[in-house]
Order: sequence, then C-alpha cells, then structure tokens
Amino acid sequence: MSDLLKGNFTTKKQVSAPSETANEDSLETKFKKAALNSIGGSMVYVERTDLTWDGEE
Amino acid sequence: MAKILFINPVVREEDVPRHIPYGIALLAAIAMKKGHLVQVYDANAHRLPIETIIEVCQADDWDAVCIGGLTTTYNYIKKACKLIKESAPNAQLIAGGGFLTSMPHEIFEWIPEIDVGCIGESFETFPEVLAKIDNKDFNYADVLGVIHRDLTGKSFLTNVRPNIKDLDTLPWPAWELFPLDIYFANSANLFSEESFTSKRRMDINGSFGCGLTCKYCWHLGTTGDMLVEENEHGDNDVVFTYGRNIRYHSADYIVSMVKHLHDKYDIDFAAFIDENLMTMDVASKGTWLKDLCNKWIEAGLQPTCRQKGIPHDENCKGVHWNGTSHAGLHRPETLKLMFEAGCTHLVYGLESFDPTVLRNLGKGSNARKNKQSIATCLASGIKPIPNIIIGFPEESFESVRNTIEALVELGITAKPHFATAYPGSEWYYAYKDSIMEQYDNDLEAYIMDLGDASKITATISHEFSPMQLLGLQQIVYLKDLRLLDLSEKHWAPVQHELSPMIQPKLSFNLKTVKEAGPLAS
Repeated sequence: MSDLLKGNFTTKKQVSAPSETANEDSLETKFKKAALNSIGGSMVYVERTDLTWDGEE
Repeated sequence: MAKILFINPVVREEDVPRHIPYGIALLAAIAMKKGHLVQVYDANAHRLPIETIIEVCQADDWDAVCIGGLTTTYNYIKKACKLIKESAPNAQLIAGGGFLTSMPHEIFEWIPEIDVGCIGESFETFPEVLAKIDNKDFNYADVLGVIHRDLTGKSFLTNVRPNIKDLDTLPWPAWELFPLDIYFANSANLFSEESFTSKRRMDINGSFGCGLTCKYCWHLGTTGDMLVEENEHGDNDVVFTYGRNIRYHSADYIVSMVKHLHDKYDIDFAAFIDENLMTMDVASKGTWLKDLCNKWIEAGLQPTCRQKGIPHDENCKGVHWNGTSHAGLHRPETLKLMFEAGCTHLVYGLESFDPTVLRNLGKGSNARKNKQSIATCLASGIKPIPNIIIGFPEESFESVRNTIEALVELGITAKPHFATAYPGSEWYYAYKDSIMEQYDNDLEAYIMDLGDASKITATISHEFSPMQLLGLQQIVYLKDLRLLDLSEKHWAPVQHELSPMIQPKLSFNLKTVKEAGPLAS
C-alpha cells in the first residue's frame, strides 16, 4: 500500500493505492494485450464477448 | 495559504508512463515556494481507474484543483474535470497546458467545469491566480494570460502574459512529489545501447524556443510565438506567429540540476526534452552546447565509458544524455564534444527527402543536408534517430519515391508518422475546415481522436486518401519501389480526375509574420 498523494503537508484523509495484486491485469487481459500486439499473418485475436452474429443466415 | 491539488492526466495509455510531467513539477515547485500547501496525484504514473479522482478530491478541503497537459490528454482531462467538480465543488478548477492554450474558447465551451485557465507560459500567471484564490477573489479579469468566465459561463481571454526574461530564476521542478520508482522502472528505451541499459532516467529542460517555423509544430506561447487580439466578434483570442523569444538556461543551471539529480536520485540518464538543442546553440553563436559539455565533464558527470574510451556496459558510471538536433544546424566539432560528454543519441526531424515537401515545410533543411546529417552524426559517435513523416499536403508518388530512395541509400528503416495537424500548428489553422469535414463538423471528436501521429486521424494530403496513405506507409516501411511504381501506374489514369481531398484557408489564429509576443523586462 502506498500513498497516492505526495505533497508538502499531510492531508486530512490518506489515499492509498490498491495492493499490487488488485491492480494487476488478469491472465486474460495480459494475453489479450500480448495477442493484439502481435496481430499479423496467422496471428489473429477473437473477442470472446463481442459476438454479434445471432445464427440467422 | 491555499491548499492545492495537482492532477497529472493519463497520456499515451497504450504505453507505460515514461515522463515525469516537467511543467506540472515546475508549477508545483513555484506554488510551494510561494508558501502554498501542495499535493500531487499522478494519474499517469499510477494508471488506476479514473474514479480514483473522487477519493483524491475528497482527501482534503482543496482551494484549487489543477489539471493540464498536451492536446493528447484531452480525453482524460474532460472526464476528470467532471469528477473533480462533483467531488470538490468548492475548489476552483484551474486548467493549463497545450490542450487549453491552442484553443481556449473551444475548451471552455466543451469543459464547463473549468473555472479559470492559464494561457501560454504560466510561471507568473499561475502564482497570481493562486494568490487571488487564497484571498477568495475569483474575479480573474485583471490577471494577464488567463481565460475565465462570467456568470453566464461566457469565456473571456485577458491580454497576453509576457514571457519571463531569465529562465534561471525558475526553481528546479518538484520531482519529489512524483512516484519516481514507477518512472525509473520505465527508464530503458531502444534508441541507443546506453539508453537501453538505463535504470534511472529523468527528463530535463534546458530551453524554451526554436527559431524554426515548421508547419506541423506548435509552441503555444512558450517561445514568444503568441499574441492575443480581438477577433471578428470583438472577443480576445489567441494568435500564433513566427515571432520568437529565444531563451535558454545557463550551462551552470543545467549542470547543477543534473548533478543534484545524480547525487540525490542516482540518475544514469538525462533526457533533454527541449524543442531543439541546435537552434539554441545557433542562437548562442555556438557557445551554449560547448559550455554545457565542458561543465558536464568538469562536474564529474561524464560517463566512464566516454572518459576511458571503452565500450559502454552496465558498470558504467556517470550520466548519459540525449536531445534533439537539426540537419542544417549541427556542427561536427560540437557533436564530437557532445559525444565526449556522454550524449548517446539525437533525434533528427528529417521528415522527408523530397525537395518540394522540404521547401514548403519551414524547417530550413533540404534533401542534401538531411542525407549528410546521418553521416555527420554517426561520425561523431552519436546515434541519429531520424523521424520520417508521410502525408504532407504536397505528398505525391514522386515525393514518396524520393524518400524511399534516400532511406535505401542511408540504410534507414522507418515506419513513418502520418502528417497530423495538431491544434496550435500552422497546418491546423490552414486545414481546420477540411479537418472538420472529415469529422462531420465535430471538432471535439477530432481532438479526442488525436494520438501520437502513428495512426491516421484527419488527412491533410491534397492528393491521397487515408486508404492510400496507409498503403504508402507500408511501402515506405518496406522500402519497396516496385510496389510504389505499380501503385502509381494503377492510379495515374484517374488521379487528375479527382478533386483535392482538402483545401487550405487563411485563419485569424495564425499570422505568418515575425511578430513576437512580449518579453518581460
């Protein structure tokens, strides 16, 4: 936990950064970032959440 | 004394945080020197959800919350201002920086939460605004260099604030108010072996100004390039000119600052963020950089690899550095001394190798000088980092061919930036109508879309569409003249049938004359 505010006096309330783990990207997010950074040729990325096709021809 | 909260907005979200905000750090130091109580929330370093601002704004009873940055921070600033006003309604919301100075009235219309803004150089304006807030006097009409509102929300610009005369009167930035470890962790970059191995890099600024008038560039009042005049509606507005107040810190100021950073924070690399080191050197008749290098060495900052003439490795002690250069203004003997003092790489905005493009650009260089600059810089031991742009107003198959041929000749591989008309630049004012047409007349949508010119936003090429420019960028990257010839052959029969993509026009906000803004006596 670290203070988010830095200054020349003490504030009335402390504001702390969330712990490292809470702030860390999930494996899914890390994978998505890495995959999107290497798009090209046969390297493609499919969103799991953005499927708009409803099955109709 | 006033309680002041600075918020450093997120910039270049696609990258890690790399640069301590020099302007905010300097203004924080000035505010503390005046006796104010100061806190900084560096949102760019922490990269937390934007709602964190609510907690930060509720941490104390702020008299003022200050936010600012370049145009590319606009998206974050707009959202942040809403949250700031909701969570700290009694605080005066002060804005500043390039995003505001380039288009003050539009920003005040788009972000109604801002109470007052500092236009242009804020070293004197900002403490005056703080003094008023401290006295609970919220009428800013008598402060030079601000934009403020009346009760109806209408914005007013006061007269221009003179640039300060002596930069050495400025305190050092308040680096201690920023999470340095986050920035240090992102010290390394791929411009040179020395910068690649850097563990503790910090930015420094040695000057304000540049004698050149590149059409893509903007200075926003920091170089004597700004006036305030009445527009056709009788309202004060910013006018940018070719006028210049060239100012640079003394070598003593810069070296003592770097020595302090080395002693206190153990920095191993200093990145000069100056607009152009070489134009400052020319303004000093070739004395500034020599003096700086000699004093750098005298102060014991010269890296051991340069001192002993051995290859750089991770055991090297001292402070390496980098900056910006100019193909037509660098001198071999100065470059040699810069290398000895620890300079590792210099960014050269070569932009193009086409005579027509370069002649119209206002950069004061030509294809021959551009080509020579690479060899001259390499001969000194310093790595040149050439920037290339595609999509100039005059861009043609021939100009692209000239650039590719030069890249082949010089052994440079580059994926060019796209010519981008940032607010405050000559291009922006000349092509504003065409830009708005490309964004359904929604100027704010364009501002929100602006990034670092690595993607296409609004095109300003008279001849090429976005589709063609994307293809041409790839062809330049591949240096593939065969593909360029095929493309030209395919396009030639219809090219003359097309109406130009864009049309330049005259603008109130731009005067292409050497009329400088005021300089304090």
